[in-house]
Amino acid sequence: MSTGGASAELESIEVDLLLEGVARQWGFDLRSHARPLLLRRLRRHLREERLDTFSALQARVLHDGEALEGLLRTLSCTPTSLFSDPAFFRDFRARVVPVLRTWPSVRVWHAGCGTGEDTYALAILLLEEGLWGRCRLYASDSSEGLLADARTGVLPLPGEEDARRYVEAGGKGALTDYYTRDGNWALLQPKLRDSIFFTQHNLATDGSFNEFHVIVCRDTLLTFNRTLHNRVHGRLFESLARFGFLCLGRKESVARTPHASAYEELEGSGRIFRRVT
Amino acid sequence: MSPVGVLVVGAPRAAAADVESLLTLLPRELAVPVVVALHRGPHDALAAPLGRRCALPVVEPDDKDDLVPGRVYLAPYGYHLLVDKGCVALSVEPPEHGQRPGLDALFESAADSYGPRAAGLLFTGHEDGVAGLHRLQARGGRVAVVGEDWEGGEGQEGEVERLSPGGLGAWLARLAWAPRARGLP
Repeated sequence: MSTGGASAELESIEVDLLLEGVARQWGFDLRSHARPLLLRRLRRHLREERLDTFSALQARVLHDGEALEGLLRTLSCTPTSLFSDPAFFRDFRARVVPVLRTWPSVRVWHAGCGTGEDTYALAILLLEEGLWGRCRLYASDSSEGLLADARTGVLPLPGEEDARRYVEAGGKGALTDYYTRDGNWALLQPKLRDSIFFTQHNLATDGSFNEFHVIVCRDTLLTFNRTLHNRVHGRLFESLARFGFLCLGRKESVARTPHASAYEELEGSGRIFRRVT
Repeated sequence: MSPVGVLVVGAPRAAAADVESLLTLLPRELAVPVVVALHRGPHDALAAPLGRRCALPVVEPDDKDDLVPGRVYLAPYGYHLLVDKGCVALSVEPPEHGQRPGLDALFESAADSYGPRAAGLLFTGHEDGVAGLHRLQARGGRVAVVGEDWEGGEGQEGEVERLSPGGLGAWLARLAWAPRARGLP
């Protein structure tokens, strides 16, 4: 075996021990994550923490809850700006909103909200469409640290690019209507922030916590391996009312999940599926 | 030497035509999947033009799609394309070197998932891909670069083989492809 092969073997052992430790100490089971993606994020975290080995990281993470939060933060890759994928919000307005208007009340779950940018974009959309009064928007993430950021309702000040995406997403007013400026930060309107239920929920281990009419779970399941991905889809299915909508990322599909036949994809939409049975 | 179970290709945008030429060299009965990361913008339609003269189907995969022998998988815009054992793993990690899809990301994942059972080909012209190619080489993968101005130097395992576009066919022919049934690791 070449030296590269030997060090790869050692790294693999160290990573396995780290993941085992994190699972036993903190209950976060990262062993079912997509391995190549997880390795890349872990290596990045190692560089950022200026550590040489995963054994050193393990020692730190096992003894220090804040070090664990730092690790979870690196593993999360949620959008860092409002309306990051305008095509999705445009499709949601055109295809989902007209149906929601016909329902007396709507429960929406944003699973894997990270620091909340997409959650707030969704809230703005529902407000503009006159649905805010009868919607309950739940947003969850496995990391308390990210949720704490989301709850503040404070974002880096949106720029021209953000305003352009807002218009492309079908925005009906001006993005500046929804926040007040504080230096380089934007404080989102309290009526948006205070009506969102942010809650800690780990898709990998926690069960269904309500029945929803809309579930938004975009690019969140990319981090899981196939087995866990399919299991989580089972949970999402159990949590979705019949005729409810499941919104996935642009390159995600229910095609290989156990409940594929229970969904119909809305034609011409960016991966919005409707539960039909 | 282990038989090759996957071919990964990385190329900057300027090398799109060279990638198209490469794809024409792939035999119809190729027994392994081919995975391509090509720098691209949000509105580039690439799969159709790249597949025009290619004997194999060229597809932009969804996350967790199987890697099927005899197909060419092209990284979609806005995602890094990683290879897991036998399937695709897309990632929304931040762009690297200003690029997503990135070339380093693909090579790094091939090094982790396939190691010596991966062959890697990098078209020169961009800093992205150099570190990943060296990592794949260090894990025992068969690697080569195509094009001028290669500034990647030597990896830990020594010099990287350099090819001219005309030498690609011979390089591909020299690889020991895995038998079709054993295409997956």
